Amino acid sequence: MADFIRNPVVALPDSNPEAHFSEEELVFTPEEKAKIAEYVTQYPTPDGAVMWVLWLAQEKFGFLPPEVMRLVATELSLPYAQVYGVATFYTQYYKEKKGTYVLDVCTCFSCQFCGGYDTLAYLEEKLGVMRGHTTPCGRFTLREAECLGACGSAPMMQVSNGPYAYNLTPEKIDALVDAMEAGQPLPFISVTLPQDEDEMGGNRRTDAEAVERYAVPPVAKRTQ
Amino acid sequence: MTKAGDWQSYKRVLLPPVKDLHHLDVYRAGGGYEALRAVLSDWKPDEVTEEVKRSGLRGRGGAGFPTGLKWSFMPPVKPDVPRYLCCNADESEPGTFKDRQLMEYNPHLMFEGILIAGYAMSLKACYLYVRGEFANWITLLQDELSKLYDAKLAGSNILGTGFSMDIIMHKGAGAYICGEETSLMESLEGKRAYPRIKPPFPAQSGIWGYPTTINNVETLACAPLIINRGGDWFAGVGAKKHPGPVLYGISGHVNRPGVYEYPTGMLITDLLDIAGGIRGNKKLKALVPGGASVPVLRADMIDGVTMDVESLHEAGSMMGTAGMLFLDEDTDMVAFLRRVARFYHHESCGQCTPCREGTGWMENLITRIDDGEGNLRDLDLLLDLCDQMEGRTVCALADAAAWPVRNTIKRFRGDFERRCRPSAWAVNA
Repeated sequence: MADFIRNPVVALPDSNPEAHFSEEELVFTPEEKAKIAEYVTQYPTPDGAVMWVLWLAQEKFGFLPPEVMRLVATELSLPYAQVYGVATFYTQYYKEKKGTYVLDVCTCFSCQFCGGYDTLAYLEEKLGVMRGHTTPCGRFTLREAECLGACGSAPMMQVSNGPYAYNLTPEKIDALVDAMEAGQPLPFISVTLPQDEDEMGGNRRTDAEAVERYAVPPVAKRTQ
Repeated sequence: MTKAGDWQSYKRVLLPPVKDLHHLDVYRAGGGYEALRAVLSDWKPDEVTEEVKRSGLRGRGGAGFPTGLKWSFMPPVKPDVPRYLCCNADESEPGTFKDRQLMEYNPHLMFEGILIAGYAMSLKACYLYVRGEFANWITLLQDELSKLYDAKLAGSNILGTGFSMDIIMHKGAGAYICGEETSLMESLEGKRAYPRIKPPFPAQSGIWGYPTTINNVETLACAPLIINRGGDWFAGVGAKKHPGPVLYGISGHVNRPGVYEYPTGMLITDLLDIAGGIRGNKKLKALVPGGASVPVLRADMIDGVTMDVESLHEAGSMMGTAGMLFLDEDTDMVAFLRRVARFYHHESCGQCTPCREGTGWMENLITRIDDGEGNLRDLDLLLDLCDQMEGRTVCALADAAAWPVRNTIKRFRGDFERRCRPSAWAVNA
């Protein structure tokens, strides 16, 4: 019994892992602090802002190792355990280092039957990496995602928690990967509704400038 | 004549065919925010709730609860107790993609609905909870929201009437469970999104313990239509017991998948024709009428069935979110169920044991059958597992995981039995 307690069957997370960022790097700039303060005013207690601040931290550091979670906790005066709990609960917060582009290929049932797994297999072969892993060059991480809410345009994928790419075919995937390797920003694509196509020859949102890159959106105005 | 009436000449109202409707000036030029103006200047808050009750509007987020009734659950106003609305745009049900299209093409209808609901229930603020995957749409919505504040249509003293209400964006980060109302509130409070036990219901004790109402995007978007055209008009659209326009998200093996707006009570066969029929001239095998968690229907069960609560209940399924998935005759139902079980295993939050462990065992058992190593008695074990999960957890995710498993096995038992090895001893069926 005592052995069992001393050697738990479940691997516990490393309680003192090696830090990815130095003390000097682990600070929020005054602009970021101002933004965090704005997020905090949006909620009755600072707790509510934790998801926004984690997004901000992920934008800044690329992923959320324990020391970044600690920074967020200090910034919001919250227990580290709470921030750790939130950051590990949600799949979109990256807990380890990812590639420059994270390709989330949807394989949930609409996509499954319209070729989601074929898309995933094609990308695995093309990038030479299994799902859940990052390419050796550090450019791409390939992941299998749950429903991304674009079932009418299956198969589809999301790039780095940002733009969607719809109705994927091998040619489209090739073009997308080439564009990403060249460092071009991926555009926001608007899907035409079938009824719009019939009644008005297609309807798309053309004001895509605002969403060319995935930024943390501005804070909502608020009356005090 | 079907319950949907003369649907061929139906004019769309939720997603009308207007170019650039997402711009505030285009929306206002078409009579936008007039419902809000009328409500703020001439209506009493209770009258708005009464009108919504009269319209018979049911929630479009899956459960189909009458919206007017939900609004009337809010306790009487107390001066120093703030009250909140959460607009649930955490659309993660597999097969559902209507809210994203509404937020893309007609966001102001939703904003107007939020403000009308805010007036009806005397609310302080609305948190618009959008799933994190919709990062681009959050940016787009935020732009429109800023314009709304500039035009004095949100914030303090809206349209000079003395009514004040804020709309605040909240970005999720990828958790299906956040679509459940109590879990959404936990997530807003900056905690892990573990659902809460009800009661107390959100109307008594919601976010930060204050009275809260949670409505779906499409539900709120119906509010301006009800005010503009009257509750009686709304009640006359589509099926009597489940009226109104509805966004059908059609996906799967059809020729023209996408979001279609029609009245409720449409024949499923009509919707299949509208979506261009099954790809490659194949036959229909199965249909999921409202997102992953509703029971699947066999092709021979859909004759004369219409898309409304009553008819789908009789047919042995549910309306859900009206995200319809059509599957053709070559579909492997075991693979289908394996993916559904995998989804629920991944998305179970881990709070209650029957769900956390049950969804995992479900996936393992179905995987074993799919790999050709299952035994016939595994099917009965699965059904038994469903019994052990349903109604034994805090929220409905365990039920939502059990229903498709139970009904897919029941309705496609032959498909499953063919993949199983016979049992060594007799199965007590």
